[in-house]
Amino acid sequence: MRADLTLLRTTTFRLALAQAGLVLSLVLALLGYVYFATVGQLAADSDALADQEFLSLERAYAEGGIRRLNQEIVERAARPGPFLYVLAESDGAVLAGDFQQLPALPRQDWERISFDFDRPVDADGAGKGRARGRVGRLLNGPILLVARDLGDTAIISGRITRVLWTVGVMGLLIALATGLVGAWIASRRVEALTNTTHDVMAGDMKRRAPVRGEGDEFDELAIALNEMLDRLERLMQVSRTAGDAIAHDLRSPLTRFRQKLENALEAPPDSIRDREALRKALDEADGLLAMFAAILKLARVEANANWRFESVDVSGFLRELVEFYAPAAEDEGRTLQGEIGDDLVVRGEAGLLTQAVSNLIENALKYTPVGGHVEVRAQRRPDGRVEVCVSDDGPGIDPADRDRAMERFVRLESARSTPGAGLGLSLVAAVARLHQGGLHLRDGLAVGDRHGLGAALVLPAEMSAETREARR
Amino acid sequence: MRVLVVEDDADMAESVRASLIADDHEVEVANDGEAGQAMALTGGFDVIVLDRMLPKKLGVAIVRDLREHGVSTPVLILSALHDEDHRVEGLNAGANDYLGKPFSTRELLARVRALWHGRNRDVQTRLQVGDLEMDLLGRTVKRGGKKLDLQPREFRLLEYLMRNAGQTVTRKMLLENVWDYHFDPQTNVIDVHISRLRSKIDRDFAQSLLHTVRGSGYRLEA
Repeated sequence: MRADLTLLRTTTFRLALAQAGLVLSLVLALLGYVYFATVGQLAADSDALADQEFLSLERAYAEGGIRRLNQEIVERAARPGPFLYVLAESDGAVLAGDFQQLPALPRQDWERISFDFDRPVDADGAGKGRARGRVGRLLNGPILLVARDLGDTAIISGRITRVLWTVGVMGLLIALATGLVGAWIASRRVEALTNTTHDVMAGDMKRRAPVRGEGDEFDELAIALNEMLDRLERLMQVSRTAGDAIAHDLRSPLTRFRQKLENALEAPPDSIRDREALRKALDEADGLLAMFAAILKLARVEANANWRFESVDVSGFLRELVEFYAPAAEDEGRTLQGEIGDDLVVRGEAGLLTQAVSNLIENALKYTPVGGHVEVRAQRRPDGRVEVCVSDDGPGIDPADRDRAMERFVRLESARSTPGAGLGLSLVAAVARLHQGGLHLRDGLAVGDRHGLGAALVLPAEMSAETREARR
Repeated sequence: MRVLVVEDDADMAESVRASLIADDHEVEVANDGEAGQAMALTGGFDVIVLDRMLPKKLGVAIVRDLREHGVSTPVLILSALHDEDHRVEGLNAGANDYLGKPFSTRELLARVRALWHGRNRDVQTRLQVGDLEMDLLGRTVKRGGKKLDLQPREFRLLEYLMRNAGQTVTRKMLLENVWDYHFDPQTNVIDVHISRLRSKIDRDFAQSLLHTVRGSGYRLEA
């Protein structure tokens, strides 16, 4: 019952109803037109003929009086033809003609009439007939009626009228039916989306709207809704864990910071040792501040706050980054090489992209043992996207841990011994998401039993103006 | 030199003032934007250190007004907002340098000096420090008449050091001005670039020109 009532309230049904009303008025207009074009025209024709006949009889009456008229009528009535005649006295008693008595008389003297009559059994098409004509009182009182048997034309008119009514009613019914069906289909699709949002609001963050794969506007809406829910879910998870993680990760450096100051205060004054303690405390403070800066930057990237995107020459900035890091890597006994394709351009924020790749390079250099290799490869993939992959031949990350490694504040056990806040990869992942791209961890350069680590940043290629136009 | 510090946070203002005075500068402090602008318009300062978020008038608006009034005193904006957009906005308004908070005192002092030093930087075609000469048009470097072979980035690095000859330049200043990078590399990348440059310009000569300033950065000086 509830479903039926809601169906009647749907927009689609209302549109269908309006459409039905429109169909009805169109049919009525058409009916009117056809009626007057056919039935009306036939009536007008027969009226004109009846008028002519009436006038000629009136002339006969004027020339020869009632006798002449009577004679004319008797003669004419005997002739085969569509006309029907009645001549009656002023009191209505019939003198001559096709009928024994007059049909109901009009009040005025000259009047058009139409009436049904019983056709004589010997005539063509015996039975009920319809006639149309003129009745009038002549000079000195006799009444003359001249009518035309409408015969077939009446039947045709009747049929046309019936057909028009049938078409009208059927059109109305069809419009209503399609409206109802359309409304039902649409409301079922919308209901699925509504149910999804209700379930999500009730706390089921995993719930997603069904996508039928028909590529219609409902599917598009469902896909958009699901993407929104994905993003929402991720943000909720992040905000749920971030607070804990920040508190947890800041505690150790803050404890060390406090410890150093306290130890320096407790110990007897010693300017050299005190200065050393201060220097170390300053280093800890710098580390904490760097961590805050990283958290804020990550938050800003994740909040998607109006970054200004422009064309970024990926090939150019990658070559500069490799040139920037290579000497330091070499000094520490590692090699850093670039294999960078030409003319790679994406649309993005140059500063963030540069920082993201520099994080990947620094990570790779940090986890690669002395003598190891780091390679920066960039190329256009067959799907047109740009892939920047930083690979090393270090210990790598176990495939089971790779997703976790990109979460913020997660530092895998293997990384505990090296400095860092566990924000590097999460910033890269956030920058990738900001650019509608992705960060994928996989095997890197294999050496012996080590698989190394490859961090691939995939970015959508800049759409040319034509492509953008074509997408619209 | 005379430095105007416009900063509403009293502790921060005092700390900046004390550091500048310790670095042999004469310092005046304004506590809000309007007072700061009034002093900047009349005071005859060599360098202005301007906080971005100020009561009464924002730092960026002050710089814009100063430049419109024809005041060309070098301006360093200090700001907690140091994202790329804000930095570009500050520099476009007419500021000469932009330093994000928190910053180290040494960084601030180096930048103040560099600003003052570079205030009259005109279009030069030759730079010279001791017997080190740079021809900016021919892109050549000579020391003691002997041509040195530098990579393009090394050339830019040396050019920046020569333009700021006698001044301490920090690693951050080098990162921003030579590489246009606005993040902190966690490794000693800059030091390695400097040592490579040093091996080219100093190794075969008795006098060292490129000095390391412990805890701060580098200085090129004859």
